[in-house]
Amino acid sequence: MPADASIAAPASIRVQPARAALTEPAWVRVALIAGALLFLALFLLLPLVAVFVEALRRGFGAYWTALIEPDAVAAIQLTLIVAAISVPANLLFGIAASWCVAKFDFRGKNLLITLIDLPFSVSPVISGLIYVLLFGMNGLFGTYLRDMGVQIIFAVPGLVLATIFVTFPFVARELIPLMQEQGSDEEEAALVLGASGWQTFWRVTIPNIKWGLLYGVLLCNARAMGEFGAVSVVSGHIRGETNTMPLHVEILYNEYNFVAAFAVASLLAMLALVTLVVKTALEWRFGDELAASRH
Amino acid sequence: MAIQVSGITKRFNDFTALDSVDLEVKSGELLALLGPSGSGKTTLLRIMAGLESPDGGGLLLNGEEALGLKPRDRQVGFVFQHYALFRHMTVFDNVAFGLKVRPRGERPGSAEIKRRVTELLELVQLSPFAGRYPAQLSGGQRQRVALARALAIEPKVLLLDEPFGALDAKVRKELRRWLRKLHDDIHITSVFVTHDQEEALELADRVVVMNQGRIEQIGTPAEVYDHPASAFVYEFLGQVNRFDCTVEGGIARVGDGALAIPAQGGVQGPAVAYVRPHDLGVTPASAGPARISGIHVVGPDARIDIDLAGLTLEAEMDRERLATLGIVAGDRCAIHIDRARVFAR
Repeated sequence: MPADASIAAPASIRVQPARAALTEPAWVRVALIAGALLFLALFLLLPLVAVFVEALRRGFGAYWTALIEPDAVAAIQLTLIVAAISVPANLLFGIAASWCVAKFDFRGKNLLITLIDLPFSVSPVISGLIYVLLFGMNGLFGTYLRDMGVQIIFAVPGLVLATIFVTFPFVARELIPLMQEQGSDEEEAALVLGASGWQTFWRVTIPNIKWGLLYGVLLCNARAMGEFGAVSVVSGHIRGETNTMPLHVEILYNEYNFVAAFAVASLLAMLALVTLVVKTALEWRFGDELAASRH
Repeated sequence: MAIQVSGITKRFNDFTALDSVDLEVKSGELLALLGPSGSGKTTLLRIMAGLESPDGGGLLLNGEEALGLKPRDRQVGFVFQHYALFRHMTVFDNVAFGLKVRPRGERPGSAEIKRRVTELLELVQLSPFAGRYPAQLSGGQRQRVALARALAIEPKVLLLDEPFGALDAKVRKELRRWLRKLHDDIHITSVFVTHDQEEALELADRVVVMNQGRIEQIGTPAEVYDHPASAFVYEFLGQVNRFDCTVEGGIARVGDGALAIPAQGGVQGPAVAYVRPHDLGVTPASAGPARISGIHVVGPDARIDIDLAGLTLEAEMDRERLATLGIVAGDRCAIHIDRARVFAR
């Protein structure tokens, strides 16, 4: 009889109680999943589909015409130029800022971290307005700049400055926690082993942060191309000259030119999709190294 | 290569990490810097490597002034407490790093690098793991990679910061023995930092005991253990029974004369007496002054808690001796002290 009891007991323990403790009932799971999916579909997927549906409403020909129209091409070019300047700039600033925050102790470090976050906490419109107040006709340096014949506001430099300001935190925010967690042991090891500062940076620091850096750059780029508020204030909306893609979309929409508006908007939507795909592909392709770099 | 430290001082804000420290490391020896945390031992090691710069004092590496040299020019190998392996490189690339970053003129060819790294990996018994990443290794294996990496640049001095601190007890013991053997084979001047007295006593040729930024004593393991220079050294090197006492005519009296300890060294007046648990003898005596309050058997040894007129003492003996005495908790007993050290208070 003792033998029977010892066999029966584990059998009854094994199945039910363990499962009940760790898993929710089936209806709860289904409800939660369905809820999440419904939410996603309603708020993310549906608008995305709507953009493409609206863009192609008059057929592919109309869509294509809207994209190769000179003002649209100019907007696309301008967006690419602004991103091509501001993303590398923030790549450098971001690495420099997170380097000194993570590897050194100094007075005012917390202030620096707060300043890095400033663009996230300030409304983009204000960010744009700051530059108008500084460099605009009636601004602080306005007369000086006019005498020098330099135009910043309502011109490409203003767009670049506003974009850099708004997208500054992306790279730094991604890198600071990463570099803080990694500490400077590996850099010290490299220095003792005979590496120069430059070699240490390229062979030890950069490889350790490359994934964080890539995420930061991807997000920074997506925002640089998609930024509306700050850019809108400094742009002046001169067609074919100071209109970036988001601004161009707004103008077309306000003129009830829905097909053209959504056609340009679809390019921005595709940019978002490409960003996501690249990010996922990198994670999938280099998953092992990614895991190794997290230690 | 010999190392000479003279009057090194280092402050971090208000905290004095090193207070005018003098030390000479002889060529080819294995030296331990032993002390509690905050005693300055790691700071001293980092100053030797050039990872920290002192506020004052001098440092000679092989007779040459070294404080002005960058870490890369000092020819030291450094092993970090948490290994600091390059996480994105394989074991092979980690070990090869020091050779690959050399200026073009001094850099060995890739075949030569491969030969050297293979040789080092054999030395640390990790040849099959050359292609792995640090994350795929155990703690002991990582530490051996770190050691091979440090040795790859053929350093004149090997500096190890708590080399076994992050390992579990068994691996630590194995690796300790292995390091001693390695040192006996290659005879590189080595300094290691530890807070584990057992590790220092077992491994080192000489032990430097540090406390609050100063050196308390330098000597062979037997010297510092048997003839501690100060109360701190005695207390730090192993378990002790500590008594506040008064010395009169060569006898230290504890409490109201409950215990009398022979005191050498001409100490008079208020003092502190130390007795190691294994120097405290216990004999069963039904009318004895002390009482056994507990017995804890730890592996082959037994630890005995003794209550003597309100004082709690600890004695240590092997289990066979315990069995011969036949004492159990609650018994009364007499105690006698084989050896004690008395320091003036």
